[in-house]
Amino acid sequence: MTVVDFDFVRTFVRDQAAIVLEPGKEYLVESRLITLARKENIPTVDALVAKLRSEPNNGLQRKVLDSMTTNETSFFRDVHPFEALKKSILPELIERNRQTRKLNFWCGAASTGQEPYSVLMLMADHFPDLLNWEMKFIATDLSLDVLARAKAGCYNQLEVNRGLPAALLVKHFTRASSEWKIKDDLRRRVEFRELNLVSDWPLMPQLDIVFLRNVLIYFDVETKKTIFGKIRRLLRPGGYLMLGGAETTLNIDDSFERVALDRTSCYRLKAS
Amino acid sequence: MIDIPHLIEQTNRLQPPPANTLRLVDLVCDSDCDLTEVSELVNYDQVLTMKLLRTANSAVSATALPVSNVHEAVQRMGAMQVMAFAVASAARPHFQGSLPGYGLNEGALWRHSVAAAVAIETLQACGVAVPAYASTAALLHDIGKLVLGRFLSPEILGFIERAHEHDGLTQIQAESTLLGVHHGELGGLIAQHWKLPPAVVSGITWHHDPGAGGESVCDLTYLANLLAKQIESDLDGRQYDLKIDPKVADRLELEQDKLESFGPRAVERYAQVCHRYDVF
Repeated sequence: MTVVDFDFVRTFVRDQAAIVLEPGKEYLVESRLITLARKENIPTVDALVAKLRSEPNNGLQRKVLDSMTTNETSFFRDVHPFEALKKSILPELIERNRQTRKLNFWCGAASTGQEPYSVLMLMADHFPDLLNWEMKFIATDLSLDVLARAKAGCYNQLEVNRGLPAALLVKHFTRASSEWKIKDDLRRRVEFRELNLVSDWPLMPQLDIVFLRNVLIYFDVETKKTIFGKIRRLLRPGGYLMLGGAETTLNIDDSFERVALDRTSCYRLKAS
Repeated sequence: MIDIPHLIEQTNRLQPPPANTLRLVDLVCDSDCDLTEVSELVNYDQVLTMKLLRTANSAVSATALPVSNVHEAVQRMGAMQVMAFAVASAARPHFQGSLPGYGLNEGALWRHSVAAAVAIETLQACGVAVPAYASTAALLHDIGKLVLGRFLSPEILGFIERAHEHDGLTQIQAESTLLGVHHGELGGLIAQHWKLPPAVVSGITWHHDPGAGGESVCDLTYLANLLAKQIESDLDGRQYDLKIDPKVADRLELEQDKLESFGPRAVERYAQVCHRYDVF
């Protein structure tokens, strides 16, 4: 891949999805574009980039963007945030919303759905009454490919091995050929939508918890600021923002306060 | 870059050890393991019986009196070593070939695997608490390479090389980033498919990232892998700087002076016991 082509792709990816690709990541870009080129019957990465430049609206842009997103995820990723959810956050929100019996969640950058389904399994096992509440669970991602997989709720053996305890696999999934499918009673509770975090956001309800984990690491500070601003307007006062272990609102947006919970931390919207 | 469903299918096609060996693993990993039951199980397998008697009577294992039956052999060697021996006998054919994708010549992966199993024995001899299944996890820790290695085309190897050079990624990080799976995970999948105990699956899966596994067997398998590298370096006359993650040392309650003694003792032990695994 030439320097010029790499610069073109990284500018394109930054403009479209705010993903920052530092010099030195040529190997990553090339490895992902080779796979896409083969799928599209384009002979080389150079030819693919040439097509991307010359035919901007042929659907290839979307596919390049999809292939450049990182979809690493797992069930109950990092464990501790889910412990915090179980021991502190959900009990507090249940108490606070006991009268209205309403709770709204948004899981941004949901990838293939392991995170929203993990939260739902946790609720089903520890707060089953919540499933009778008026609950909206929105999960979004930039990539249409991964959203389709998330909606289907089917996972191969490697994927279920990543973080999903055997007891929960047996309880909440059914075997579908060589894959495991999450049972419909949980699958149907998640509303999967396409959302680009750096474009305009569609209308969303007032939220109690936002999960935006391990995605901001790919963005620059200005983009993070903009995203936190939008979340601030969507969260109810006292609502929670769950970030990845290497992410923080500190020194970026002071309308959130860091809440240390056991072996993790999350961010709570300060009362205005 | 690789077709994951195809990779999983290939994983499931790897010939499992004989049913008797798997039953032996289950039996020995059970905390109430009875040596008589172990002997009875070994007795069902004529080839294993023959090899076991030969090993038990070998120069290193032998005392003044020769061993004449399986029960005596099991008593002399101990259940854990009998299990390691049986697993090694079953696994050896898989591990003997070369793996160009990992730069391993014929027999190299087998020697490394045996060295890791020997490392576990060394840790136990040094007073580290070692559960029975740790030796199996150590012996099979790189089994995922057998399958993933087939998918490492020159093109993929080129990308892995560039990931090392430009991003400082380790082999396992490069595999995860570029292929979406690493050889530890794939090895865990094989062990799971073979119905080995969950602790063995964990040890294999997390041998490069033991903190994520959260079980002592993961720490032990990680340590066995490093000690195996030390053994191999020593045999080749190369220097190896044994660097153990301090968190692993903390979790296993290993003090620095103890850690420093492991390498030389593992090298010595390897020379003593590798005949048991029929390495050469």
